[in-house]
Amino acid sequence: MEIDRVDGRTPNQLRPLACSRNILHRPHGSASWSQGDTKVLAAVYGPKAGTKKNENAEKACFEVIWKPKTGQIGKVEKECEMILKRTIQSICVLTVNPNTTTSVIIQVVHDDGSLLPCAINAACAALVDAGIPMKHLAVAICCCLADNGYVVLDPNKLEEKKMSAFAYLVFPNTTLSVLPEGSSVAEGEPVEHGIITSVTHGVMSVDDYFLCVENGHAATASLSAFFRKNFQQSQRDSSKAG
Amino acid sequence: MGTEVSTSPTSLIDQTVVPGDVVLDLSNMTNQTIKLGSGLFQDNDAISAMRAGKLRYTKPNKYWVESSHKRYIPRPEDAVLGIVVDSKSDNFWVDIKGPQLALLPVLAFEGGTRRNIPKFEVGTLLYVRVVKTNTGMNPELSCTDASGKAAGFGPLKDGFMFETSTGLSRMLLSSPTCPVLEALGKKLSFETAFGLNGRVWVHAAAPRVVIIVANALMNSETLSGTQQRIMVEKLLEKISE
Repeated sequence: MEIDRVDGRTPNQLRPLACSRNILHRPHGSASWSQGDTKVLAAVYGPKAGTKKNENAEKACFEVIWKPKTGQIGKVEKECEMILKRTIQSICVLTVNPNTTTSVIIQVVHDDGSLLPCAINAACAALVDAGIPMKHLAVAICCCLADNGYVVLDPNKLEEKKMSAFAYLVFPNTTLSVLPEGSSVAEGEPVEHGIITSVTHGVMSVDDYFLCVENGHAATASLSAFFRKNFQQSQRDSSKAG
Repeated sequence: MGTEVSTSPTSLIDQTVVPGDVVLDLSNMTNQTIKLGSGLFQDNDAISAMRAGKLRYTKPNKYWVESSHKRYIPRPEDAVLGIVVDSKSDNFWVDIKGPQLALLPVLAFEGGTRRNIPKFEVGTLLYVRVVKTNTGMNPELSCTDASGKAAGFGPLKDGFMFETSTGLSRMLLSSPTCPVLEALGKKLSFETAFGLNGRVWVHAAAPRVVIIVANALMNSETLSGTQQRIMVEKLLEKISE
């Protein structure tokens, strides 16, 4: 039985993606990422000298500021900031610039479902634009579970409200490699099968959760390819003189 | 769905790489010394990219990722433009657009002794050379070249300084001379200093020459050689009317 989505997409189909980098003048790196109608703007300042009081001075420190579209900053925003900070800390190489602070500022332009994954993708693109050293990119996706057990990817706001549970999943991107297939392993499994962050809302069974992870992982290939193509195009546009 | 790469590419040299791409496999290259430049880091036997950019290789053994950003990562033997932010008894603190402030020893000038220490006010623009960059320590600068001569290093007086990306500075410093500089130099006379940290200083007799040169340089980042020449010609035509 097929699920009927309001906008006619198949369960595994993502909304149209758009990404542009280096759009703001002052920050050292900036990016805007939109999935359908959800749009998020990210700006990166740094690295700047000095770390905060309780942070380890032998590593680079990250600070995330989340600005909602309207309203005051509350607990929801603080939770998003914490999730984003932990995700960024695990994808960046922290030993290259010790004792520095990098600030990432996220501004929500429009929220139409799947907001946190959109913000993570935007933050990643902005970090690449600023040249912050990273081990690999983070690719984020929202998978939700419908009442009849089907997994639906990248819901919009209405679909999210109707679902019984959803999960935000962040994976490392698929990378090009000159190594022969299957040699980048960590503890017996290829590094690409790892998962960086997972945030769930609602009640779902363990099997359903693993089904979500599988489907989400399958979609990371297209997100990674989109990111790579977007980057190649902007390189081509700006390096005609080179 | 995007197309999957079914067979791994044999080489990523001169291709765009994204953080995480493994660019070299050390297990195939024993008994070779390889120099890794900016943007690459070593993970046991695999060298992977830390930044997004183009992978470059020059013989015999240098690999690096070329990219253009608004921040600068200090490397030894780079000539940069710094701004003095503080002066202490032993050294000046200079901002070079990097992750940390850099130190310029008070005696690092040609013929510098304790008796003739230069006095730089806060905000002075200096053309300096990066001497040492160790992780975790502030970079060190010097106003002499490797043999101790002044060689043009030192404070820059008058003129106008603006900030660009590191990629544009590298392009303007490349040899043979960049087309935009050639075209401007044929009609106008001006003096410039380019820092690899993305700062450019322009000085000329008349302010309008300074403004023309600065605008031409800022617009030339994404243009090819012929486009740069056309842009400069159009600018000069408008001015001489």
